[in-house]
Amino acid sequence: MSKTLEIKDLSYRKNSKKILERVNLSLEAGQIVALLGANGAGKTSLMRVIAGVAKHYQGQVSVCRESDEDARKQYLAMTDNLAYFRDSVKIKDVAAFYQGVYPDFDQEQFEQILEFMNLNQDEKLGALSKGMKEKLIIALTFARRAKLYLLDEPFSGIDLMSRKKIVKSLLLWKPEDATLVISDHVLGEVATIIDEVVLVKNHSVLEQRSADEIREQNESLEEWYEGFYEGEE
Amino acid sequence: MKFKDNIPIYVQIEDYIFLELAQGKLKAGDKLPSVRALAVELTVNVNTVQRALRELTAQGYIYSKRGEGNFVTEDEALLEAAKRKLLVSEPAAFVSRMEKLGVERDKIGRILEQYLQETDRGE
Repeated sequence: MSKTLEIKDLSYRKNSKKILERVNLSLEAGQIVALLGANGAGKTSLMRVIAGVAKHYQGQVSVCRESDEDARKQYLAMTDNLAYFRDSVKIKDVAAFYQGVYPDFDQEQFEQILEFMNLNQDEKLGALSKGMKEKLIIALTFARRAKLYLLDEPFSGIDLMSRKKIVKSLLLWKPEDATLVISDHVLGEVATIIDEVVLVKNHSVLEQRSADEIREQNESLEEWYEGFYEGEE
Repeated sequence: MKFKDNIPIYVQIEDYIFLELAQGKLKAGDKLPSVRALAVELTVNVNTVQRALRELTAQGYIYSKRGEGNFVTEDEALLEAAKRKLLVSEPAAFVSRMEKLGVERDKIGRILEQYLQETDRGE
C-alpha cells in the first residue's frame, strides 16, 4: 500500500518552547486514524505542521510524496474554525469563499452533505449552535477532494446526536483511498470506525497501533489509552 | 448494533452476519447491502466490513459477483451446517457459564428442566 503521510524526525518549536520533538509517523492510504493525547500534547501543532500552516520546523513531512509546503497543500483538507467570518455571514457566502480559494471544492457534494446535516444555505453563522457549526465545518472540509483529511477535535463540546451524525457523514463522504486523521483527547464515538490509533505524548508520537490488534489482545482501546497515563492523575 | 470493546470489530461483524445466516434472516442467494451501506448502518469503517466479508467468503458463506456485490451462498447444506454449529456452540457457552457459577455438570440438566417447566406454567 502507498503512504499518504510520511513524517521523519520532525521537531518544532514556538517562541523557543519545545512543541514537538523527533516525531516519526507514517500513514497508509484509505485509513481512518485517531490522533489521541491529553490537551496540550501537541496534536493541533502536529496537524498544523502537516497542513503547512505552522512553518519553520525541522525534519521532513511529505503528503503523497510531496514535501514542499505549498505542493502538499493540494492533497490535504484540514478543518477550519471559521473564526475570521463575521456572525452575519451566511453559509452560502462561506461556501463561495471556499470555492474561490480551493479549486477542488465540489459545490454539489457540499450541498449534499449540508442536506444530510439538515443545514440551510441561507442560515447565518451567528445563528448556528456549536453542533451545527461543527457540522458545517465537516461539510466544508469533505466538499474538497483531498487525499488526506485532518479533523482537529471535531467532537469537542457538542451533543451526542450531532456527534453521531458527524461520524456517519465521515463514513459516507470519505473517498475510499483518502486517509482521515481525527484528533481528540478521548476516544468516544470514533472507537468503532478507526483502523489505527496514534498516541501523542511528551511532545512526540509514542505509539501507533492497529485498533483491532489491540482488541485481539483482549484489551479495549480505552484501557490501552488509559494505560499510558496510569499514576499521573 | 452495540459492539463489545475488547473483541475485534471485524470478528463481531462476522459473527453478526453468521447469526443472520443461521437464523435464516439472510437466505440462500440473497444479496447483501453494499459495503458502504453496511459500514454506515453498523457505524464502522469500510475496511473493517471488507475484512469481515473476506473471512466469510473464505469460509464459503458468501461470494461476490464482479460489479454486482456480495451474495449469500446457494449451498443449502452449508447454511444448514451453520445452524447446527450454533446448536452446539450455544449449549457449550451455557454449560461453561454454569460451571463458572460453580454448578456441577450433572446438575445443569435438572436446572434447565426445572426452568422450562416453571416458565411453561407461567404462560
